[in-house]
Amino acid sequence: MKIIKDKVAKLSFVALLMSLTAAMFYTPTASAHGEKSQAAFMRMRTIHWFDLNWSKDTVAVNDTMTISGKFHVFAGWPETVDKPEVSFLNIGIPGPVFIRAGSWIGGQLVPRSVSLELGETYEFKVLLKARRPGDWHVHTMMNVQGGGPIIGPGKWVTVTGSMGSFVNNITTLTGETINLETYNLSNIYFWHAFWYALGLAWLAFWVKRPLFVPRHIAVSSGKADTLISAADKKVALGFAVATIAIVAGSMGTTNEKFPVTTPLQAGLLRGMQPIQMPESTVSVKVDDASYRVPGRAMQMTLTVTNNGDSAVRLGEFNTAGVRFLDPAVLQDETAYPDDLLAEEGLTVSDNSPLAPGETRTVEITASDAAWEVYRLADLIYDPDSRFAGLLFFFDAEGNRQMVMIDAPLIPSFI
Amino acid sequence: MSASQSAVRSRAEAVQVSRTFDWMILFTVFTAVLGGYHIHYMLTGGDWDFWTDWKDRRLWVTVAPIVSITFPAAVQACLWYRYRLPFGAVVSVLALMLGEWINRYLNFWGWTYFPVNFCFPSNLIPGAIVLDVVLMLSSSLTATAVIGGLAYGLLFYPGNWPIIAPLHVPVEYNGMMMTLADLQGYHYVRTGTPEYIRMVEKGTLRTFGKDVAPVSAFFSGFVSIIIYFLWHFFGRWFSKTDFVDSSNV
Repeated sequence: MKIIKDKVAKLSFVALLMSLTAAMFYTPTASAHGEKSQAAFMRMRTIHWFDLNWSKDTVAVNDTMTISGKFHVFAGWPETVDKPEVSFLNIGIPGPVFIRAGSWIGGQLVPRSVSLELGETYEFKVLLKARRPGDWHVHTMMNVQGGGPIIGPGKWVTVTGSMGSFVNNITTLTGETINLETYNLSNIYFWHAFWYALGLAWLAFWVKRPLFVPRHIAVSSGKADTLISAADKKVALGFAVATIAIVAGSMGTTNEKFPVTTPLQAGLLRGMQPIQMPESTVSVKVDDASYRVPGRAMQMTLTVTNNGDSAVRLGEFNTAGVRFLDPAVLQDETAYPDDLLAEEGLTVSDNSPLAPGETRTVEITASDAAWEVYRLADLIYDPDSRFAGLLFFFDAEGNRQMVMIDAPLIPSFI
Repeated sequence: MSASQSAVRSRAEAVQVSRTFDWMILFTVFTAVLGGYHIHYMLTGGDWDFWTDWKDRRLWVTVAPIVSITFPAAVQACLWYRYRLPFGAVVSVLALMLGEWINRYLNFWGWTYFPVNFCFPSNLIPGAIVLDVVLMLSSSLTATAVIGGLAYGLLFYPGNWPIIAPLHVPVEYNGMMMTLADLQGYHYVRTGTPEYIRMVEKGTLRTFGKDVAPVSAFFSGFVSIIIYFLWHFFGRWFSKTDFVDSSNV
């Protein structure tokens, strides 16, 4: 019996070791950027991205693509997140797999941080130049000071080719054309190697003689002053003078070589131009809203009034970049990312055309696995359990009206 | 061999053992300082040292020497007062820079593909050499702090200027003027480092016009003096020998 027990113990130990070893070699691709782990209320109640377009799915190294669209800055911005008075239009990619060749808000280049107004809608565009081959999840993103990164929808883009062929040519104001990928590299290596060698020379000057044990004995016995000779002092002085002379001299020659230099540019860009969205003639009141946990469905009771002059139907509910569509009214033709698109996810109890002047109370259900996959259901664990989103109404001619909704959300666990 | 007998049997053997100890201790000091100093500098100097678009003429000049004179002061205190060895600052900075280059090359470039010309470390060696020489020639804590600390701050910017000046050449980009360093920061996307985090060109030194770097360097030198004193005593405390009464053990 003991032999069997020993064998089992040994085999178990070997199995454990093999498991650990196998685990070390298991390195799956990390392909997300934490977009799903960001608090749901942050994604639902801050920046609403819509009309997004990724110009290409596949792009070769050195070629460009754009991400364009609009974002609405939610007027009911949560108190727990700093307002977007200092924000930066970023792009959510795993490092510089693209370079950001340009980014614009309302037609203005935004290489720096900007100030955004609550309740406004802005048009944006980001121009990307492919740099590193691979499959990359490319997200829209707005960084907000005091709020953190607010990540928007992402789409997979494949970059083909070789990074070795990537060039980033820039012409300076002094007329020189350089490749920013490799510019100044030899100069950096030279000066660092030079100073490192000088530092090593100083170290070598001392290390060549006996160091710790005999010197400690000498210091302990009161003979510390005998350890530094006059010659040592001369050499040290030489090092100091040479150091200062090289610093001064190299600074002088650098200034001669680069007579035109400017300080780093910084500062907040204000006055971003919002787009004037057509005044909505549809008013919506949220009577109640609940999220049914087992059914992965959000249900709302809305009282909708059409104050316009043409009948409208509800076609889309958009929250946190997830689009719930009523296919009878709207079908996506923009190749929006599949995982964020619930093509048949919107059910309206009565979605017949709402006539001008008519008021109707309707039950709306937005259901899709995206609630769970994108962890939007976690809203019920957030400090501010309210939801927000965009409703899009369409008339018979396809004219669109956008209505913002914002209300408390009550979870239902049964 | 009993405990009271010597481990060596001749003077030659003693010298050999002593030299072996030298290399072992030097290697240990170098790697321990590399680790500790590197973490300290990344936490306190961080982005100012990581990116060219943070290396400005105000805050980088001010912050980098102040937070980097720490370990040199402490290691100097240990090596000078216990061994009369005046290379504490240089050995610390050499260790730091080796660690930084390994990190920048293997991590920043090798893993995440930021170009090395965008994420190279600052050069701290000129100030370290002068700091060691001042300590050796003066053999005085006060003189080293005041003269060496000030020199450490003053030499930082000119010691780095030949490396960063080419990146301060201006460029016109889509209707805006920026430096090549700014353009690097814009081009090479850092998802977790938005532009507003950059602490550059902030402050109230506006009356000095474009000649603000020397003022910042002097200020940095003055604060470096204070930090030198503080970290010198950390070094003294860390390297002291305490004897414990055997009856209490």
